[in-house]
Amino acid sequence: MADYARRRSLKIAGIFLLPALVVLFVTTIFPLLYSFNLSFRQFNLAKPFIPRIFVGLQNYKTLLQDNGFYHSLFVTFKVMVVAISVEFVLGFALALLLTQKLRGMGFIRTLFMIPMMMSSIVVSLIWLFLYFPGMGYLNYFLNFLHVADVPWITGENVALYSIALVDIWQWTPFVMLGIAAGLQSLPQEPLEAAMVDGNSRLQVLTHLTIPQLKPILASLFFLRAIDCFKIYDVIFVLTKGGPGDSTESLSFYIYREGFTLWQMGFGAAASFVALIIMTVLITLFIRTIKEEEPRAA
Amino acid sequence: MATVSLSNITKSFGNIEIVHGIDLEIRSGEFVVLLGPSGCGKTTTLRMVAGLENISGGMLKIGGRVVNEIAPKDRKIAMVFQNYALYPHMTVRQNMAFALKPQKMTVAAIDAKVREVAEIVGLEELLERKPAQLSGGQRQRVAMGRALVRTPEVFLFDEPLSNLDAKLRTQMRLEIQKLHRRLKTTSIYVTHDQIEAMTLADRIVIMRDGRIEQIGAPREVFSHPKNVFVATFIGSPSMNLLPMRVTRANEGCALASGTIVLPLPLKNDHQVREGQEVLLGVRPNFIRLASKPALTGNPYEFEARAEVVELLGADGLVALRLGEHELIAQVDESVLPEPDAKIWVGFDAARLHVFDRASGDKIL
Amino acid sequence: MDRKTPLEKALIYLTALVVGVIFLFPLYIALSSAFKPDIDMFARPPVWIFRPIWDNFIALFTVRRFQDNIWNSTVVATGSTVLSVFVGSLAAYALTRLKHPRMKDVAFWILSIRMFPPIAVVIPYYILLRDIGLLDTPWALILVYSTGNIPLTVWLMRGFFQGVPESLEEAAQVDGHGVWAIFWRVALPLAAPGLAVCAMFCFIFSWNEFLFAFMLTSSKTQTVTVAVMSFWSSDAIEWGRIMAGSIVIVIPVIIFVFACQRFLVKGLTMGSVK
Repeated sequence: MADYARRRSLKIAGIFLLPALVVLFVTTIFPLLYSFNLSFRQFNLAKPFIPRIFVGLQNYKTLLQDNGFYHSLFVTFKVMVVAISVEFVLGFALALLLTQKLRGMGFIRTLFMIPMMMSSIVVSLIWLFLYFPGMGYLNYFLNFLHVADVPWITGENVALYSIALVDIWQWTPFVMLGIAAGLQSLPQEPLEAAMVDGNSRLQVLTHLTIPQLKPILASLFFLRAIDCFKIYDVIFVLTKGGPGDSTESLSFYIYREGFTLWQMGFGAAASFVALIIMTVLITLFIRTIKEEEPRAA
Repeated sequence: MATVSLSNITKSFGNIEIVHGIDLEIRSGEFVVLLGPSGCGKTTTLRMVAGLENISGGMLKIGGRVVNEIAPKDRKIAMVFQNYALYPHMTVRQNMAFALKPQKMTVAAIDAKVREVAEIVGLEELLERKPAQLSGGQRQRVAMGRALVRTPEVFLFDEPLSNLDAKLRTQMRLEIQKLHRRLKTTSIYVTHDQIEAMTLADRIVIMRDGRIEQIGAPREVFSHPKNVFVATFIGSPSMNLLPMRVTRANEGCALASGTIVLPLPLKNDHQVREGQEVLLGVRPNFIRLASKPALTGNPYEFEARAEVVELLGADGLVALRLGEHELIAQVDESVLPEPDAKIWVGFDAARLHVFDRASGDKIL
Repeated sequence: MDRKTPLEKALIYLTALVVGVIFLFPLYIALSSAFKPDIDMFARPPVWIFRPIWDNFIALFTVRRFQDNIWNSTVVATGSTVLSVFVGSLAAYALTRLKHPRMKDVAFWILSIRMFPPIAVVIPYYILLRDIGLLDTPWALILVYSTGNIPLTVWLMRGFFQGVPESLEEAAQVDGHGVWAIFWRVALPLAAPGLAVCAMFCFIFSWNEFLFAFMLTSSKTQTVTVAVMSFWSSDAIEWGRIMAGSIVIVIPVIIFVFACQRFLVKGLTMGSVK
């Protein structure tokens, strides 16, 4: 490479890229290393004067032997499966509905954006109001339809679905918008040609539209899965992991162990395992996507 | 004005070499056109002269100075891009002034220069408009004005007319010609359009697959193409190629194919061998059509059948069937035959080309 | 295929209406409850028509000094937005223009930061910030939020910078403009709409955030989200103020959504519809 070209590249890298990398490095790598160190020690935040003794893999051992940990993984995945599948089915149907070229559809789409742009804490509080045992309006409307009260956040078997419902309410618009954008970006001629050839709308949908949307659906799934994995605020407000531990997600488990019980070392270890799980899942996902691509090209 | 010299210029991306050893000497004030199909390396070569691409090998000199390692801004060049590369958020005046900003001139000097150039390219009225408000031809002129404003020693053009419609293209071609005649700046112009090349160039450099096929003045590459590629690329409609075989290599050669036999006016007999497969090249414009042969016994006249006749206006195209060969001829409309009519076809012996079929190189 | 019978049109509008009602109903509940006295809020049957009172809002700003929280949230959100948009767009530009094969990895690393579960990094943040003494200052959250906002900005601005034709920058390069001049005068002005979108997204994200704000602040720097949660104490749940506070928190979001409808879809799905 010619000198002037190399100098130019270096200048760009230095002036433009470096600041971001420095900030991000300081705010991510550094804390992570600190946390990594911490995970090998016993550290009780309530008793800060006791030295942070090195306990080797003790924290990790305790973690991996704790049923609560595995249960929290189970809860997390259950919420993810329920929430995301409903969001996609519902989101797809709504996208089909709202991409019809009728007046006002754009405005309605804009209205739909509001739930996902709201703070999750506000969303959770409003749903708490709706779910509240004995007073919430949801049960009132159900009574109106001659259905008995549902123990939304007090029922052991129900609470998890109530959590999923909040996530569905907030994030279906996101899936819907993504699919709508995808639908609108598809070339219309092949679809019209297929209809002219005599295919029914359903056939066009399943054989032409959906396969072409695969990359978009995959990206949306990826984004939702990552977000849903982290679910915390909703649980914090509505159930605090309860009743029992039926809604204790992984994030909440870490919170409870690390912050309420002040066992920071243990919390750190759990955090790291969570990060590893996340990384594995992401890598798996990306690899699956990469395999698909050559075929698509 | 500067000379430009390319010596064995190569370009590689990783292990793949895409431009192989370009040698070209451009004289001061010359207008050279790099002509070729897409992917032949002409734009890459131009960008290497500009400094926008690194030179992988060879030596580039501008004005006698080796510039391989010199940044574009110090090479005293100006470039007109294919999509004009006008800054959409600036007015025409600002677009041109922006090119001068790095020169550390006073505001007044910049302003004077901009106005001077605006007059040369005919943009005085449009200085305060933004590119979006201009027509294609006007944007073109802004692009040229922006290049002119820096009084470079070499102009580089990267297919500047390909985004214009045919009429506008003709108009802008004339403008570029006028400009060159007035300013006499050394220019390198890249295009895939052979008409632009023929009309604008002092010399044409025909390129294919990263190599130079032929360099020459327009007249020369038209009348004396070195190989089949150049012969068919230059000239529209393109040259007819008839596959033939050499016979009777001794007492004068002839080309034969089926019933058609042509004597070959060759100076040296050992340029061809008996049985050699060749291609006979005849340009559509140099085919004579007549209802009866002009001279009896003329070995260059044959009877053929006109299959399709297309009237273009003042002239027309005729698709002829001559034995097992198909030819296109371009003739004046007054001699256009009826479709399916029998017609006599005459070749001008001085305007025949013979190419070896295997290598494509010219024999005659 | 496009022309629909009146019946089909009606059905579509009806379905959209029903779905719309279902989705916006919780918001409506919040809005109407904010203007009701506590007794009316849970009244069965629900009080549909009522005279709105401002008591909840008044209490919010007098008893609870919500304006302090609004101020804190604004400071933190603005601070993080300015930092992130500035640093992030610079990085996005570099990632778009640098042709080194490593750039893809760098880009991926930056974007992957958003994938960490926040809870996993709260512990080290808490301890580190406490040790440095930045806990309970606006800087704590400004820095922490930048961890999320910078990748977001990079993600969005990359697309916008890719939309600036390189020939424009090459023309400026040939004329002799330096790297910074080309960025500042050519690339950035043309990617400006993206900056506006980025700023809005960063602001909203910071404004809405709860977990880090909850852990890393106390009464002095409490943000709106934490404050509104604090109305739910061990003694009672102050529903009126919760609803009023929620409405206040949601207002900037609604303004934003309507202000840039067109850009939103492009921005939100830019990563998806790659």
